[in-house]
Amino acid sequence: MARKLPPGFEHPVVANAFDHLEAGRLSKREFIRLAALLGASAASAYALVGLPAPALAEGALPFPPDDPKAKAGGVLKVAMQVQKLEDPATFSWVQMSNQARHTLEYVAITGPDNVTRPMLAESWSASPDLKTWTFNIRKGVMWHTGEELTADDIAWNIKRWADPATASSNVGLSVVAGLLEDTGKKDDKGKPIMGLSNGAIEVVDKYTLRLHMNRPVLSAPEDLYNYPTAIVHRSFKAPLSDNMIGTGPFTLGEFRVGDKCVLKRVTKTRDGKDFNYWGGKVYLDEIAYYNFDSDNQLSAFASGDVHTLYDFTVEQLDLAKSLPGIIHAARTAQNICCRMQVDHAPFTDKRVRQAIVMSVDNEKVKNLVYGEDGDVGENHHVAPVHPDYGPLPPLKRDVEGAKKLLKDAGFEKGLEVTIDVGNTDGPWHQTACEAMRDQMKEAGINLKVNVMPAAKYWEIWDKTPFGCTAWTHRPLGTMVMSLGYRTGVPWNESHYANPAFDKALDEAEATLDVAARKVKLAVAEKILQDDAVMVMPIFRPVYTIVAKNVNGYQGHPTEYHQFNKIWLT
Amino acid sequence: MLKLIGSRLLQMLLIMGVISFILFAIFDSDKFKKQIAVNELGGFAVSALSEQDYQAWLEKKGLNVPFYQRYLNWVAGVAQGDFGKSFEKNEPVADLLATRLVHTGLLALWVFALMIPLSLLFGVVAGMKEGSPQDRLTSFISVLTTSLPEIATAIILTVIFALGLRWLPPNAAMVNGWDWRALVLPVLTLVLYDFGYVARMTRASMAEVMNSQYIRTAILKGLPYRRVILRHALRNALIAPFTIIVLQMNWLLSGVVVVEVFFQYAGFGKLLLDAALFGDIYVIQAATLVAVFVAVASQIISDVGYTFLNPRIRFA
Amino acid sequence: MTTANISLDTAPVPFNVRIRQPTALIGLVLLMWVPLTLYVMFGPFLSDTLKSFVLLPAIPATVALYVIAVTSWRESPVAIIGATLVFFWLFVAVSAPYLPLIDPNKPLAPFAEMGAYKKDHWFLLGADFKGRDMLSRDLWGCQRVLVWGVSATLVAYAVGAFFGLLAGYLSGWWDQAISLVCNILLSFPVMVLFILILNYLGPSGFNIVIAVTFASAPAIMRIVRGLTLDTRSRDYIFAAQTRGEHPLRIMIFELLPNARGPIIVDACLRLGYTTVAITTLTFLGLGLQPPDPDWGLMIKESTKVAMVWKFSYMLLIPALSVSSLILGFNLLADGLREMSLRD
Repeated sequence: MARKLPPGFEHPVVANAFDHLEAGRLSKREFIRLAALLGASAASAYALVGLPAPALAEGALPFPPDDPKAKAGGVLKVAMQVQKLEDPATFSWVQMSNQARHTLEYVAITGPDNVTRPMLAESWSASPDLKTWTFNIRKGVMWHTGEELTADDIAWNIKRWADPATASSNVGLSVVAGLLEDTGKKDDKGKPIMGLSNGAIEVVDKYTLRLHMNRPVLSAPEDLYNYPTAIVHRSFKAPLSDNMIGTGPFTLGEFRVGDKCVLKRVTKTRDGKDFNYWGGKVYLDEIAYYNFDSDNQLSAFASGDVHTLYDFTVEQLDLAKSLPGIIHAARTAQNICCRMQVDHAPFTDKRVRQAIVMSVDNEKVKNLVYGEDGDVGENHHVAPVHPDYGPLPPLKRDVEGAKKLLKDAGFEKGLEVTIDVGNTDGPWHQTACEAMRDQMKEAGINLKVNVMPAAKYWEIWDKTPFGCTAWTHRPLGTMVMSLGYRTGVPWNESHYANPAFDKALDEAEATLDVAARKVKLAVAEKILQDDAVMVMPIFRPVYTIVAKNVNGYQGHPTEYHQFNKIWLT
Repeated sequence: MLKLIGSRLLQMLLIMGVISFILFAIFDSDKFKKQIAVNELGGFAVSALSEQDYQAWLEKKGLNVPFYQRYLNWVAGVAQGDFGKSFEKNEPVADLLATRLVHTGLLALWVFALMIPLSLLFGVVAGMKEGSPQDRLTSFISVLTTSLPEIATAIILTVIFALGLRWLPPNAAMVNGWDWRALVLPVLTLVLYDFGYVARMTRASMAEVMNSQYIRTAILKGLPYRRVILRHALRNALIAPFTIIVLQMNWLLSGVVVVEVFFQYAGFGKLLLDAALFGDIYVIQAATLVAVFVAVASQIISDVGYTFLNPRIRFA
Repeated sequence: MTTANISLDTAPVPFNVRIRQPTALIGLVLLMWVPLTLYVMFGPFLSDTLKSFVLLPAIPATVALYVIAVTSWRESPVAIIGATLVFFWLFVAVSAPYLPLIDPNKPLAPFAEMGAYKKDHWFLLGADFKGRDMLSRDLWGCQRVLVWGVSATLVAYAVGAFFGLLAGYLSGWWDQAISLVCNILLSFPVMVLFILILNYLGPSGFNIVIAVTFASAPAIMRIVRGLTLDTRSRDYIFAAQTRGEHPLRIMIFELLPNARGPIIVDACLRLGYTTVAITTLTFLGLGLQPPDPDWGLMIKESTKVAMVWKFSYMLLIPALSVSSLILGFNLLADGLREMSLRD
């Protein structure tokens, strides 16, 4: 703390993180991400730690720089499911947000480098206790109506998310949850109704918005780029597709659900004046999304119908490699969780669970399915890409140990178990389970792989004693652990209940010091790993492919499309 | 004749009424409605759908009124050309169906335009002389092509012409606007599968006519062979194939499902399958009615046409 | 099965006479069919030891049936070719567990090309996207197609023939009512009916049997009804009626056997249709479920990954396999029809 840091890095959490960085307890990239979240400029954070910063557009706009060779014009064609556009606050799929992303913009934007930069805000700062956040709204941002964006507009949006009538999932984000309090009223089921606390949102002046949280929140800007937090105009009325007013460079042209969604450049405001986009040059004339089921997107690309696609699965990787195009693989924390219900025989016996876990070689399973890509899971659900991941010693497969444990548990003649698999993310779930089956056999465990349709699996995912569930990417390790393993939480599919684990998790969550938090989280990880609740062999990457005539494409870990600076040759 | 058509049409309306009622009853079950609610609301499982959300959704969509009332409303709507609104695609079913039917109609048009002359030619040539090399060749080709299921034909054609030779696009999704080239493979697939059957029927009919007394007499009388065939034999031999060709419309509606799904052609068959998989009630209803209408109408046309064409029936 | 009633007698006997003699062949057919059905339909409920030898008696039965078929149909090369194709797949189906094939569900070397040697294994027909041996999957795949296809056809026949006999023999309002229901069902395009039924029941082998029954039974009913109307005025029926036999008995033991000729030919064709239907439905995602291989599933999986020339073998192999089986059924039907007309 003694060190004097350059302006912008005054926040105590940043200063503290810098100490950890110097002591080698925090990586440079994590420090940059954190400093940017707490209001430092990403460029200076990169400079401070001595990493080359990704170039930005002129005037520190949160987009890649303009390419002097870039040519304007053309239609970027994308294969993706084309879905309904009802209410951005209740978007349930990333695809929907991609269709709207170039019209409705966000307060902040997380780049492909996982660093969050100001977008509709110009900058922000947090109080030392992380309870008060001040956002300076960018000046000169024009709505398609010709009006200027103000702090009132943003405040109106946040209030709309917080309104129970909107039924937005945004209330689960810490940035919104921190503004809510119990209204004292209850809904039909006796759950308390939450409402905005008095004075939680303060509009300081036309361009300044202050949020007063009732708890420390570290991730406020990052939350404001979560896909249902797109900022809509105050005249908004669902469905969005009827009248799409935003601040972005494109607006909705042709639109048919399940067919296509064509976005056209905005040149004139609604009242006929010239529209000036705040974000600098945009090259494409149109962005056209064509509806293809996830299975068919790659064949659409193969036939040259589209320039890029939403994503393809690992089974299609070899096909993709044989095509002319550039494959982008983004590291994520998406995974499969082969979890056992600890209150269901034979998994009530910890030795049985341990034997199952020990007989599997996670790395081999991952390598079989994903080859060099992806990360090996460590059976505690926190991924190396999580900023709060605390490393543990690598797992070792131990067939003899497993045999011994089985014998102790009274299964010396072998154990028969069945795992339910729904292939909800593609057939590789089954491949992974089959590989596990072959490995378990060596330890005398006979695993039956029971495959069922995806829809059927989602009906039983939290009921089956032994099932292979897909968990999607979430930004923080504490987040997934709280969702899935805390005693009695709704999504606790393994029925795991361990006060020691809950306590360790609470402690990690309450720690603001990032390096200390990693250490604390590692304790929780270790408890969960030792209790052998799951086999989690794989954190998978997501793949997409882009034609060679598309310039400036950058893959995004959460599959968000950012096409402002893309140009075609 | 008019009486026949009238009674058939009446029968068709009756059938359509019964079918739509059964379908309505089936898809009115909670099981299906919840499935749609989950799809609509973006949840991932019926078990995760709260009763409260479900009821709210029912109310929003106007599905909470009693079944018979909704059925009557729907029938009244259909009578005025309003087939309801698609849950999945968010647009009126009538518009959706119209576009898709035009696409499938174009496909069918090409199939018939190619299949009819081809199969009649092969059938007549084969039937002219039973047991001749051309007869055997035709039999062989028609058995072979009808034995290849559409899915196999589609694959073989795609592999050869799209993946191997790269002459034609491998799918007919036509994202870059209408493309006739993309239609070639779907049309060929359907023609190849169907042509053999019609050719065999034509051959059988032709052979029967050639064996008949009056043709033999005509040939014995010394009339030129060409004339016997063109003037006398053909006219009678083509009656049976006519009815069969009309009945192929019914078959085509089944055939297009596979072909459209395989080639991703946005037509009626793909619409029906998508709707069924999603549980899009009103689309399924409307598509089924259209299918039944086409099937029954083609039957009526074929019956009427047969009566009209066949002198033995007309004048007897 | 189609070969059920073919006599062992190799001397040229009129076709209709020949198939009228039920012989020990029924036993052979059962010996082939029962184990196969048990193995495929109820495999998950069988113990491993039972599973390992249940198909053994079926192998000689299949071979014997093939020899009999070939010798008794030698006058029709078409029928022999058809029988050869069908019996090839039948033989593969019953002997699959004993052939030197690796586990068709074992992922080894994804996208290994034809003839590649990887992971200590020759991939003669390559490997699919999950690295499973295509040869093994293709050969194992015929089991499910054959068993479900034939079972569905059999059930459709049982139902269709029953109602056809009922309508034809009893006439009157029975006939009217049954014909009306059949007309309604027949006014559906087949695939529409399949989609509606399977969508309602959910995709599975047993539900395919139900759907095929709904789609095929009306047509079968019409054929049987026509044949019954044709024969019911014969003397031996009157004789049986005067003997005071129960109508059900007359239907099954007097009427049905005499309608056998056309029915068998139709059944062969219909087996072909059902095979197409099962493959197609599985391709559309309404049929049999993974992981066990069958041709429709192989096609369905390959359309997502193999749409380039290099990997097109993944599509072609199952497509050609299913085509050869259907060709077999169709040629068999052709040959049998030819023989029945010749007599």
